[in-house]
Amino acid sequence: MEFSFSSKYPFTSEAKQKVEGSSLELNDEIMERAVQRVVAALKGEKEHAYRLHPSDELIELGSYAAARMMLAYLKNRFLTGRFAVAEAKRASSFMRSDSEENIRKLGEELEITPSELEGRMVLPVSQYVSFSPRSVDYRLIFRNVSNGFVDVKRPEVIRLMEEAVRIKMESLKPVQSPPKIIQEYSKKLMILVPKEAVMKMSFKEGDNPPCIEKLLEQARMHQNLNHQARWALAVYLLSKNVAMDKVHSIFSNLPDYDEKKTKYQLEHVVKRGYTMPACATLLSYGICVADCRIGTPLNWKGKVENWKKRKSSSS
Amino acid sequence: MEEKEKQFVLKRFSEYYRKANIEVPSVEQREFGVGGFEKKIESRHMGFESNAALQNYLIKDTPLYISHSIAYYKFPKATPMENKGWTGGDLIFDLDVHAGLFLTKEEQEKVRGDAMRLVEDFLLSDFGVKKDSLKMVFSGNRGYHVHVRDPAYRMLEGEARREISDYIAGKGLDYRSFFSSPEEDKWKTYGPKEGDRGYRGRFYRMAVKVLEENPSAIHRRLLKPGEAALLREGMRTGLWSKTSIKDIVERMEAVAKMLPVQCIDVDTGVTIDTKRLIRVPGTLHGSTGLIAKELKSLDNFEPYRDATAFGAEPIRIEALQPLPAQEFLNSTMEKLEKGEKKEVPLSYGMYLLLKGAVTLSS
Repeated sequence: MEFSFSSKYPFTSEAKQKVEGSSLELNDEIMERAVQRVVAALKGEKEHAYRLHPSDELIELGSYAAARMMLAYLKNRFLTGRFAVAEAKRASSFMRSDSEENIRKLGEELEITPSELEGRMVLPVSQYVSFSPRSVDYRLIFRNVSNGFVDVKRPEVIRLMEEAVRIKMESLKPVQSPPKIIQEYSKKLMILVPKEAVMKMSFKEGDNPPCIEKLLEQARMHQNLNHQARWALAVYLLSKNVAMDKVHSIFSNLPDYDEKKTKYQLEHVVKRGYTMPACATLLSYGICVADCRIGTPLNWKGKVENWKKRKSSSS
Repeated sequence: MEEKEKQFVLKRFSEYYRKANIEVPSVEQREFGVGGFEKKIESRHMGFESNAALQNYLIKDTPLYISHSIAYYKFPKATPMENKGWTGGDLIFDLDVHAGLFLTKEEQEKVRGDAMRLVEDFLLSDFGVKKDSLKMVFSGNRGYHVHVRDPAYRMLEGEARREISDYIAGKGLDYRSFFSSPEEDKWKTYGPKEGDRGYRGRFYRMAVKVLEENPSAIHRRLLKPGEAALLREGMRTGLWSKTSIKDIVERMEAVAKMLPVQCIDVDTGVTIDTKRLIRVPGTLHGSTGLIAKELKSLDNFEPYRDATAFGAEPIRIEALQPLPAQEFLNSTMEKLEKGEKKEVPLSYGMYLLLKGAVTLSS
């Protein structure tokens, strides 16, 4: 039996209408599924772990909606971020083998509408830059761009759609006083969430320039960092001789944290011996936040010491 | 600047606004900010119901600088920013040159040429922007602003705008990324091919040109016509490893060196800021007294001739610093020594006064 469009993509308007048109009420079964859904996301379990039998479509849709309501109520960025990544990955695992018709339908919903132009698959530039992952492979600069369109391949379109789902999942309408059952299960959910998963920070800050402080702050708030930001932060911390496991624990705060990948990437940074990029480079990445005039973030300490000296000599 | 000079300047600005025709599209959805002799933006979060109300303000409460948001808001006057209700924004490009008291002829030509290439090669060609949604404006000081009001680009967030700005500025452009060798066919090198677009296409066309005109810049072996023809044939379909030259990618460095020439140094900070305020086209720039002039075409535009606002009525000035001879208003303004007094045309006098290079003299 096939999964319906709605259960594969519970964030679509079609799914929403189905739930609203049914007499579905939040009950313990749905709520337990919803909790399971968030916990699975948190553990980074593979997407199929919480797939139900296709005949349970309404429970599936209800559990998704309930999970969203709990997240909106809890306002926990870490949970929301992890859930967004998991739901996006779940959706894209369906997309990869889905029919052209369904992909087109989903694309319209996500505002990613590829078309064919002289035998090539193309996407409007504005859609492409809105959802392209921030990795070198997707940089516009290396792409065939003309007349407002970028050449793309089908797997790339799906990757962009995955990103669009993630972004969609991250925006939640605030809920002040949700139904009682949501409040109850939200409490239960928080008990199931390991404490250290919500606050994994283990780095004493203070001696870092504003850009690095901001990245650390974003990590602490469980916000997503783009590729360049992660790389800059890793190179900075490792250049400062911060222990590998400490750096790792900082990255474990990120919503799409994956232990193996993080380990590999950090080791890669060490192996390749990357040096800290200049402030000008960080400026072009949008990472620079202040006009410190230190050339590279690594010079921050010297600058602070100079200030102190000047202050003490002038007083 | 002394008080009487400030009054003099603002009175002339006000007179200009009496005759000017300032039209901001969707004026009621824009936030405005104004500045004076201390700062270019002293207060913001202002709004106008109509262009007539805006013009009335310019005549009566004449500011030295006025800018409007690139963004459209539901409530332009609301504070803080989150309460304005952002509903999109124009895509803006800012081109500038660092210059002394005046832009030299070379600086003028460089920045004008860049603005033309930005419009022709990038916005119209690569990004498919419709001509009628483009507005080209002389900034009133050292460069140009290009406003794109194409609905396709209106809703882009800052990061998406950065991707476009980086593309135009060629940030992170490494030609090696155009080439790849498949795992199963390591000795084959694939790269840009005929019909490619964007920088790949630019690179391809430059490579063809170098191969035709100066093949030894790539490799001496290409002086043999057979070898060059073989490479050319492969390139057409994107297979660059057809010849005996093993390090063809490295060899293309000679071509890659020409690539940055095709990029344009746009100010990324301006393009990515979706809440930016930008000089209102048609208004005066408070550091020059020149008009931030909207231009139908950039051909033959010369700021010191075509963007002046006050004509040639004489005023008497005293130079606070040595002034070089300078083309202005279609004639040559004479060189002045420090402390020298002279009658000069009003437009030129205003420019110098606002640059702090002269004072009014009796």
